Amino acid sequence: MSDANTNRSESESGHDHADHHHAGPGYATPQAAIEESERETLAYVMGLYVGTDIDEPDFVAVVDLDPDSETYCEIVDRVEMPARGDELHHFGWNACSSSCHVEGLERRHLIVPGQRSSRIHVIDTKDRRDPELVEVIEPEEVFEYDLSAPHTVHCVPDGKILLSMLGDADGELPGGFLELNDDFEIEGRWEPPGEIEMNYDYWYQPRQNVMVSSEWAAPATYQPGFDLEDVEDGKYGQQLHVWDWEEGTVEQTIDLGEEGLIPLEVRFLHTPESTHGFVGAALSSNVFHFWEEDGEYRAEKVIDFEAREHPDWDMPVPALPTDILISMDDRYLFGSNWLHGEVWMYDVSDPANPQRADSLSVGGHFGEVQEVQGRELAAGPQMVQLSLDGERLYWTTSLFSTWDDQFYPEEAERGSVMLKADVDPRKGTLELDEDFLVDFGECPAGPARAHEIRWPDGDCTSDVWQ
Amino acid sequence: MPSHDVTLEWINGPTRTVAVDADETVLQATERAGGTLPYGCRTGACGTCVGRLLEVDGVTKADDRTGDGRAVDVDDAFTYRRAPRALKPRHQDDGYVLLCIASPRADCRVAVGSQVQSELVDNPWK
Ligand code: FES
Repeated sequence: MSDANTNRSESESGHDHADHHHAGPGYATPQAAIEESERETLAYVMGLYVGTDIDEPDFVAVVDLDPDSETYCEIVDRVEMPARGDELHHFGWNACSSSCHVEGLERRHLIVPGQRSSRIHVIDTKDRRDPELVEVIEPEEVFEYDLSAPHTVHCVPDGKILLSMLGDADGELPGGFLELNDDFEIEGRWEPPGEIEMNYDYWYQPRQNVMVSSEWAAPATYQPGFDLEDVEDGKYGQQLHVWDWEEGTVEQTIDLGEEGLIPLEVRFLHTPESTHGFVGAALSSNVFHFWEEDGEYRAEKVIDFEAREHPDWDMPVPALPTDILISMDDRYLFGSNWLHGEVWMYDVSDPANPQRADSLSVGGHFGEVQEVQGRELAAGPQMVQLSLDGERLYWTTSLFSTWDDQFYPEEAERGSVMLKADVDPRKGTLELDEDFLVDFGECPAGPARAHEIRWPDGDCTSDVWQ
Repeated sequence: MPSHDVTLEWINGPTRTVAVDADETVLQATERAGGTLPYGCRTGACGTCVGRLLEVDGVTKADDRTGDGRAVDVDDAFTYRRAPRALKPRHQDDGYVLLCIASPRADCRVAVGSQVQSELVDNPWK
């Protein structure tokens, strides 16, 4: 089942290694990814039925993104999970550019965890338009390591795969990290247990021997829904953890304070030498810059989104920036304000002083655009993904089924959409592409939610350089 | 094997009665009978499978004359295999029950389906 023994023609993988003289998957540098990649022609997107009365499992959708294709903007295939109840959320590749020089490895298998179920699936994308489920790790196998609620998947050097786990076997704290080997078997816990309490996303910079992880809450806290009482009781996170990447130990914990409540997505700059990165604090609606100085990491708030008054709401509505990403050239930071209904881009050429470049007001509770092609939008922009050349930004609209139900109950009835904006990196502008709409409300079994987006040839939120 | 009849009532939807053995959960018995209920973790941590208790042994919430608001008490109707971690004390007092880990000790009626889950929390800003 290892990728090392499989053969695949260069044309099929769409990525010619002969061009840049190395073996293994991915691109030699972020710049090579920009220059050598072709336009994305399909996307894998998480589709969900968990928590609805539609008696179907969650699925991974194959979305046609080729404007010359007859099925452009359509879901052309769906890989169904074997059981219901997963809440597919984030996923990742078995190999990325960090394994660039590992001969024989291919970026071919998607590791697809169930957030609620703790079931971990492996999908073979050898045939890109017709991927198939090949392995399943059952929840009981995961619980044996006193972990649950798998979240972020990154491949790590040598063909291994690391998953951040948000809870213990009971759905309480502490969380930790689970490591899989290149045969997709559980290798064990990656870190000595007890290094952290809360967990969420993580990103590593191997050349700097550093990893940074963030904090959501215990699964038993966030899974039933968002409750302000839990915030008041300190059950939501506000810390970053700086790890020794090789040792798997926490070297430093940074408390972001009240301005850093619920720090979610962590993004290092793509340049492997860089020690700069960003994290979005969803509840306090801020973005923090972190960087290394004199052997220590520091973090500082650099973007602050103001809450807005809404005529139908009793209290000012927070922006809730739930996802951020950095363009492959490290020039722009993109993100989404799920409640306000906004996608935004900041110039981060000077990471300590982001400059607002442009934004788009679409969906959410305040968006100027509330329908596309006559299709009413049921929620704000959420997970974002950018083309490798930085010219097309795509997003979906579901955050988490139980949280969707609180803030956008209509999404259960209408399903999510996937939308796109054209980006002009030279001028620093965003423009909604009104011709682009993927409607997850039209799925055969009924309206589905849509979450994270991945490209087969690597993307701005999964590739790391060794 | 003693069993109890649990009547599952979907809000604005169908009703179905399932005989649940003392050593199985409501979710397991429903699946054994070829039915479905929403679920996620199956360990009591996520709340996806939650139901709201309506009646125990013929006594409904509306029949409550004791004044303590506990005429329909989850403890009278179910035993849990493990702690219902996804439910707060206020939810348990209001009769919510996690059907993935609960086995009945009495005949009862329970409101079920994803709408019950969405009752657990509301929008705090609205
Ligand atoms: S399925 Fe998660 S609490 Fe019952």
